[in-house]
Amino acid sequence: MKTNTALLFSVILATAVASAAELHIGAATVSITPDKPVALDGHRGLRISKKVESPITATALALESRDGDKVLDQAVIVSCDIVAIRAGIQEMVRAKLKPRLPDFDANKLFLCATHTHNAPVTLEGRYTIPETGVMKPSEYAEFMTTQVADAIVESWKKRRPGKVAWAQSHAVVAHNRRATYSDGTAQMYGATNTPKFRGMEGYEDHSLDVLFFWDAQDKLIATAINVPSPAQEAEGGPLLHADFWHPAREMLRARYGKDLCILGWTGAGGDQTSRPQYRKAAEERMMKLRGLSRMEEVARRIAAGWEDAYECARKDIRSDVALRHFVKQIELPHRQVTETEVADARKEAAKFAKDPAQRWNYRWHMGVVERYDAQKAGTEQPYKMELHALRLGDVAIATNEFELFTDYGVRMKARSPAVQTFVIQLAASSYGYLPTERAVRGGHYSAVIQSSRIGPDGGQVLVERTVEAMQELWKK
Amino acid sequence: MLVNTSCALVFALGLVLSPAGAAELWFGAATADITPKPPVPLTGNSSVRIARDIESRLTANVLALESREGGRAVDQAIMVSCDLCVIRPGIQEGFRKHLAGKLPGFDLNKLFIAATHTHAAPVIQQDRYDEKDYGDAMQPKEYVPWLYERMAQAVVKAWKGRAKGAVAWGLGHAVTSHNRRVVYADGTAKMYGTINTPEFRGLEGYEDHGVHVLCFYDSQKRLKAAAISMATTAQAAGGNKVSSDFWDDARRLIHERHGKDVCVLGFCAAAGDQTPRAHVSKKSEDRMCKLRDLTYGKEIGRRVAAAFDDVVSVIAKDIRADVPLMHRVRQIDLPTRIITEAEYAIAKKACEEVDGRKTRLKTDAWTRHFYGLVMERYLAQQKGGWKTYTMELHVLRLGDIAITTNPFELFVDYGVQIQARSPAVQTFLIQLAASGPLPAYYVPTPRAMAGGSLNDKLFTNYSATASHNMIGPEGAQALVDRTVETINELWKPSAKQN
Repeated sequence: MKTNTALLFSVILATAVASAAELHIGAATVSITPDKPVALDGHRGLRISKKVESPITATALALESRDGDKVLDQAVIVSCDIVAIRAGIQEMVRAKLKPRLPDFDANKLFLCATHTHNAPVTLEGRYTIPETGVMKPSEYAEFMTTQVADAIVESWKKRRPGKVAWAQSHAVVAHNRRATYSDGTAQMYGATNTPKFRGMEGYEDHSLDVLFFWDAQDKLIATAINVPSPAQEAEGGPLLHADFWHPAREMLRARYGKDLCILGWTGAGGDQTSRPQYRKAAEERMMKLRGLSRMEEVARRIAAGWEDAYECARKDIRSDVALRHFVKQIELPHRQVTETEVADARKEAAKFAKDPAQRWNYRWHMGVVERYDAQKAGTEQPYKMELHALRLGDVAIATNEFELFTDYGVRMKARSPAVQTFVIQLAASSYGYLPTERAVRGGHYSAVIQSSRIGPDGGQVLVERTVEAMQELWKK
Repeated sequence: MLVNTSCALVFALGLVLSPAGAAELWFGAATADITPKPPVPLTGNSSVRIARDIESRLTANVLALESREGGRAVDQAIMVSCDLCVIRPGIQEGFRKHLAGKLPGFDLNKLFIAATHTHAAPVIQQDRYDEKDYGDAMQPKEYVPWLYERMAQAVVKAWKGRAKGAVAWGLGHAVTSHNRRVVYADGTAKMYGTINTPEFRGLEGYEDHGVHVLCFYDSQKRLKAAAISMATTAQAAGGNKVSSDFWDDARRLIHERHGKDVCVLGFCAAAGDQTPRAHVSKKSEDRMCKLRDLTYGKEIGRRVAAAFDDVVSVIAKDIRADVPLMHRVRQIDLPTRIITEAEYAIAKKACEEVDGRKTRLKTDAWTRHFYGLVMERYLAQQKGGWKTYTMELHVLRLGDIAITTNPFELFVDYGVQIQARSPAVQTFLIQLAASGPLPAYYVPTPRAMAGGSLNDKLFTNYSATASHNMIGPEGAQALVDRTVETINELWKPSAKQN
């Protein structure tokens, strides 16, 4: 009898927890397109924008879980058409929010980047930028963070009880960009039509994870799309644009409403690109037959995958899901610089030291020397990374600050207790590539010591802390 | 002099243009039902399963091609796609003999049979199960002659029914396969290994989600036949019922949308390390299947049909009638995987254990077969033999596309290499095709072999150990190089139909 009562009580409690939560949702999109030429971020060499090909935007999603008037948890996620959330940018936004949103815990905000390589530099000192005629990185950062803060305030103030659904589909967008060769080496964007080519180094994750948000009147107001590929179809040139996210958004808005807020979330895709690395002739022929550019073709696949997911998601729309959001500072060990690596880095840095046009290259190599010196002096500290882990119904969302090789995302998803797991890279800040063991063995850009401050050991720690955080969210 | 040069130029242009301009493509297609009457023993697992029910029909789909110039046949091909697990040793040769005299004007060497790799199809060779376990089920020796006759009827129908037509090709995408080899922190790998463990480090290799589509149209441009090649095996279902796996649903949907008479040939591209089963996103995939009210196999069929639609709608803009066909059939020698003394010792011990066992296990014949093969090869090596594996290679050029075969369960990396190095606009791969007198089995990559060596458990690093590899990476590289060389030959301006 006691057992039955206890069981009944626990069932009621469980039901109450599930049904009492009310999800409040708000979303807003703002332009972060500069009105002057800017330096474009992501390459070794300086590029100054000559034209805006498509607007770059920031989209904020505000979520709050409530039980009556009681706030249970909250989150604001902002997706930005930018190469990376450089150090300090998120703090600038938080500082601007604090006086404007007293009922929001600014720590529960994170920004993430789509990784377009055709968006402005936001950090001073990376390039030698002309003194006149170009917006300074600090000036752009001020503009961008103000715009982002405005979007957040708007989304937060617009939040109302709403509904959510999640679904998974597929889109072949990401392609592993590291070719391996018969001598054991690897090369980013390496030739594949050679007898020495042995295959792509790692996995490709073609899942397309989607969240859908409706208002109380069943109007679709926002969607978040998690694609494990950076938006660098163009990756170069003097045009400012949002890469494939712009045509993807245009396609979806044309079909589902011009006000639909669309968040592009980049999954673990440090070793990925949206550009095919082999079979290029067949892909190009199909695009020509469709009359699409490569960027439009990627967008078409995303939109098709999204619609496939939407068809299912509509069968399982929920309004009573609880939101839980953990923000943690986790410590990751730095990758250790070897004697050989530091010797090479010193030699290379010396080549670029006196040429202002080579500032990026100089800094790239000198960073290794500085790290080695800290290592030797015993002053090196573990890297403190801001980790966001959210539970929204049966979905887990986990962030990291890296260009995280796909294998790590796969490890997180495989071990996650959630039915569906969204991994968002380049979120909260930016700390470079995080390569796998096999990539470090193969070498080349993205896996060498210059590219990677955290190595495979730190990568595994990141996986463990992320899985632990997700498991905590699933504890009753 | 000037006149002569111009004449030579015109002549040369005429030569180059003539194969493309004057060639006529003739094709025929037919389907045979090759579903046996249950009960029937099913192959593909370590112990035999007796099917007493039919989940879906098994078919053999035949495509006959002939290139003609000025009313003269210049090259030809017949491809047969079967809902079978593997075209076991001797089956293709037996079928060619069965066809003797039935196809006037056709060179039987230009025919090949390929399997979709369904694991719910009949045993067709008595080499790995104990007949005692078949009970009242149809025996392979009964099924195979019946299969030959059914397939022969379809081949004859396709060949004799060939008519002038047109062709189009295109590339689509569908996530139908996943890499099934799981890698762990200690460097070991396991097929279908657990992934929700702290030791999990990732999937060993790549996945190729290309869907290659080749369509054939009659003179009124009505779709009559289609070949689809994907890097996945038809083993989503399993179970104890006869089944053509996801191909049944893919074909049904294609028939509903494009006509019930469209003959659909399902081909498996290089996919030795692939499977159409979800793992990393299994919970999410399962939920999506429930929301769609589909099994995972039916979901794969849905994806294949969707990719097919996506491609067919586009390539209708580029249907060609004047493409020449060139078809090369070669016997190529590949270096074998050498059996070490340690592997021989392990195999010998395992065989002795099976032979000495008083109570028979249902897996004994299977275990004996694979360890026995290791022993046989080692002993042959000791006598100076077992140095090369001879395989039949088919390479076809049809317009801008290449089609290549191999008899193996070829790891996907090798398929990627062939596609990357091929001069063709699009390269179709067909594995488990044109089997010869020897078993073929898996062809692993170096990274797969690094995942573990043969021991007394056959499933340790299954698919990459000596027990399941007739050739290793060295042989595979020779296969890739010979295949690419043959494709290159067909792309030389001087290449001729024959």
